[in-house]
Amino acid sequence: MKKTEENDNAAAVNEEPRIGVYVCHCGLNIGGSVDCEAVALSAAKLDNVVIADHQLYTCSEPGQERIKQDIAEHGLNRIVVAACSPRMHEPTFRSCVQDAGLNKYMLEMANIREHCSWVHLHDKAAGTEKSKDLVRMAVARARYLEPQEEIDVPVIKKALVIGGGVAGIQAALDLADSGYEVVLVEKEPSIGGRMAQIDKTFPTMDCSICILAPKMAEVGRHPNITLMSLTEVTNIGGYIGNFSVTLRHKAKYVNEDCSACSDCMKACPQHAPNEFDVGLATRKAIYIPFAQAVPSQYVIDMDLCLNKNGVRVCEKCVEACERKCINFEDHDREETFDVGTIIVCTGVDVFDAAQIPQYQYKKAPNVITSLEFERLINAGGPTHGQLIRPSDHRIPKSVAFVQCVGSRSRKTNPYCSNVCCMNTIKDALLIKEHWPETEIKVFYIDIRAFGKGFEDLFQRSKMEGVQFIQGLPGEIVQRKNGNLRMIGELMMLHELYDIEVEMVILSVGLKPSIGSDVVRKYLTLSRTSGGFFMVAHPKLRPVDTATRGVFLAGCSEGPKDIKEAVTQASAAAARANIIMHRGMVTVEAITARVDESMCTGCGLCAKVCPYQAIQINDRKKAVVIDAACSGCGTCSAECKFDAITMRHFTDRQILAQIDAFTEFEPEKKILAFCCNWCSYAGADFAGISRMQYAPQVRIIRTMCSGRVAQNFIEHAFARGVGVVLLSGCHIGDCHYIDANTFAEKRYKRMRRLMKQNGLDNNRMQLVWVSAAEGQKFQEKINSLVEKLKTVTPEEIKNSMRFFSEREKQRKEKKQKTRAGK
Amino acid sequence: MSFWRMPLDAEEQGVTVGEVHIIAYRCKGCRYCIEFCPNNVLAESEEFNEKGYHPPYAAKDGKCVNCNFCETICPEFAIFVTEGKPGNLQPADVLHDVKPGRRLQRKRRYGE
Ligand SMILES: Cc1cc2nc3c(=O)[nH]c(=O)nc-3n(C[C@H](O)[C@H](O)[C@H](O)COP(=O)(O)OP(=O)(O)OC[C@H]3O[C@@H](n4cnc5c(N)ncnc54)[C@H](O)[C@@H]3O)c2cc1C
Ligand code: SF4
Ligand code: SF4
Ligand code: SF4
Ligand code: SF4
Repeated sequence: MKKTEENDNAAAVNEEPRIGVYVCHCGLNIGGSVDCEAVALSAAKLDNVVIADHQLYTCSEPGQERIKQDIAEHGLNRIVVAACSPRMHEPTFRSCVQDAGLNKYMLEMANIREHCSWVHLHDKAAGTEKSKDLVRMAVARARYLEPQEEIDVPVIKKALVIGGGVAGIQAALDLADSGYEVVLVEKEPSIGGRMAQIDKTFPTMDCSICILAPKMAEVGRHPNITLMSLTEVTNIGGYIGNFSVTLRHKAKYVNEDCSACSDCMKACPQHAPNEFDVGLATRKAIYIPFAQAVPSQYVIDMDLCLNKNGVRVCEKCVEACERKCINFEDHDREETFDVGTIIVCTGVDVFDAAQIPQYQYKKAPNVITSLEFERLINAGGPTHGQLIRPSDHRIPKSVAFVQCVGSRSRKTNPYCSNVCCMNTIKDALLIKEHWPETEIKVFYIDIRAFGKGFEDLFQRSKMEGVQFIQGLPGEIVQRKNGNLRMIGELMMLHELYDIEVEMVILSVGLKPSIGSDVVRKYLTLSRTSGGFFMVAHPKLRPVDTATRGVFLAGCSEGPKDIKEAVTQASAAAARANIIMHRGMVTVEAITARVDESMCTGCGLCAKVCPYQAIQINDRKKAVVIDAACSGCGTCSAECKFDAITMRHFTDRQILAQIDAFTEFEPEKKILAFCCNWCSYAGADFAGISRMQYAPQVRIIRTMCSGRVAQNFIEHAFARGVGVVLLSGCHIGDCHYIDANTFAEKRYKRMRRLMKQNGLDNNRMQLVWVSAAEGQKFQEKINSLVEKLKTVTPEEIKNSMRFFSEREKQRKEKKQKTRAGK
Repeated sequence: MSFWRMPLDAEEQGVTVGEVHIIAYRCKGCRYCIEFCPNNVLAESEEFNEKGYHPPYAAKDGKCVNCNFCETICPEFAIFVTEGKPGNLQPADVLHDVKPGRRLQRKRRYGE
């Protein structure tokens, strides 16, 4: 482990800045739309810049070597790399400068790819000008960079796995086998997830529960795994290595002595549809969801049981149970413990087909979903494996499958659910296996048989006589005898069809499970537009999240089949293992520091800190608890006396960026403050997706929108900026609990202030952009450019005068208070 | 999730049905059985008994699940229940938030 070379770098603070600037072409990615040479030349003219050059690939081995050489040769003490997003390569260049003996916080990046070349592909002149600005701002900030020392924190060698589907089971087993303590939390009475409900699995046609049950049983008896079923997550706090988790165990009313003999169940008079069988079978108030359930233990559904509100009316099950394991005094319990890493495996629910009324689901009894089909065809299901029509319990002679129900449509979900095509082919073959005479028609748009062994299965189904008809039905009409007319158009031939079948199976898509919401809330994970969790990098970090120490596996990350879910689970377990094996993590040095001589003890900072990381001590001074501070910077923005310094995002650094930004034609530009986790990432996403927008905007990154002090914005207006945009995560999604609400407050205060003083307050704007909302960012910038056109020179002049005056007054007032003390 | 289909194995399910017996002259009208019956089977009858009270009667006959609570709770030993012939599962026994069909809704609304 490398310790930061604090001592070597202590001098750097007082040293004259000697800056090296490296502009990267990134092949043609940047070089194609930005004149990198011109950018380097303009950088070379800036104060303190000792050397400025451009390279084809700065991140390559020779590129990095060059930086290291220059540091040694020219005594550089600060490095600016103008290249891709710091979210991509900051770690790379940090270790590069560290290797050359600099503190890694002495690196600054200018994002001229995601925020420039990729979004202004066809305007090289504007792209080049913008890059020059971005580099100038980075150099301005670099002048004030200071070396920081990171602290190592111990990692608790215990993991939490949320969700007991096949992914959660695999992740838990892998970690437990590596010797770590694992807590597996499942909200339902049993683990197993969707895979336990499926009959056979494509492409191998294995019996699903036969291959899953042994794994489930292993989870149940593994000495390193604590299985908590019927349990929900109610809070998660803390940070990598030291998460604090609170769970609620719902009352089961039956204890672990239960031998699952089913005597109680036979005695119980109360019936309900069994959720596990998608309502196709009945269960009792005291029940076990399915025979192979783990834990193998009955539970009582108190909403259904006759004993409500504490009145003991019925005791039939109690009387029937010989082992005396039923206890009506049981109640919900909360439990809190600490873990080092978390793996999220909250899986999927199926699309509610009733949302497409023309398919008659929930109206025509013989229209069923693919999940219902799995229970029907399963020997352990309600019909013991007989595929019968619900209306008359007869085996149908003709069956139609409808594909993409709730997938690939703008009206429902735009994404492909990934498993439904193969699932239908599997289902069709299963029907042919039992009832070869059945006529099977599959109505589809495209068949996606992309995986290993998939195409073979597809061809086999065709050989068995399954008919594939391209063109989804526009309407399904029920006839009196329960048969269904499929009416639609053949895609290729533009001919209408009207085909009668005895039963319809809707191939429903997958959507994020409802259980994922609560997890998202506490871990503040970003989601894609489809609602699935977002990984840190889609290619290179496919199971990491933006929150360190939290990993994803299975369908919570996106629709996928079992094999992929299991692969991801093992990958996530391996990633968690790396952290726990080391036993230590370094946390970023971005925390708040109080300057006692400036602090008046007013306590404002303590009030706004979302983590209660600031306390006012008995000497009336604010004290930051380093381990609890997450680095949002809200306290620093709130402090009226400049007493709080946010390390690596100091006032001085940010004001220097604003000054550099406003050096040329500020009235023609937009200044955007973006938070690291959502809106900056959203702007990156716009870049990755090549969403073109107007080039007038320059972005300043802060960790949280709560860091943006009102005086930054006022300073920008005082210097003549045309429009200021404040942006962050959506309310409720803030990476720092609720620090963005303070950004909202300041925004409203700014708007009010401008209005009261006769200024155009539409020049101050706010937008919440999630990491997936590149398009929203694009649209916002484009609309702001329209606004920019309406800002008159008088307006700019007035606001410059007004805000300069305010700045002056503020400074005087501050001096007075300090002198008065 | 709310389910709408009658489970396919409903016919295989026997439903416990209790037969309610009321010894009318013992009842002193405390209404305990009526209040506590989990299935709201019982209601006050119109008739008077010897003591001048309205004894209960099984208003929703067939819905008694033979839990025997009325028997336990009755201070006057005026009610007892015996197990009757098992019944068939009705939609209302399983689908606890069943909505009436469209035709029935219309009938109720317009009294057709
Ligand atoms: C009809 C159908 C047929 C399919 N057929 C096949 C097939 O033949 N072959 C194949 O490879 N794949 C098939 N799949 C896909 C397969 O089911 C999935 O790949 C697999 O189940 C994914 O596992 P998972 O663990 O990610 O999610 P899930 O199986 O959905 O499990 C998630 C678990 O997490 C729990 N959970 C959710 N939220 C919380 C919370 N907040 N707290 C605690 N627990 C929570 C859930 O209760 C659930 O048990 C099919 C899917 C469907 C719907
Ligand atoms: S007490 Fe509840 S769970 Fe037990 S038999 Fe009676 S209704 Fe069923
Ligand atoms: S009777 Fe008792 S032991 Fe048997 S299943 Fe019911 S609770 Fe468990
Ligand atoms: S407000 Fe933010 S930066 Fe300040 S102490 Fe709290 S967590 Fe740290
Ligand atoms: S036995 Fe139970 S369900 Fe039947 S009438 Fe008495 S209290 Fe009601």
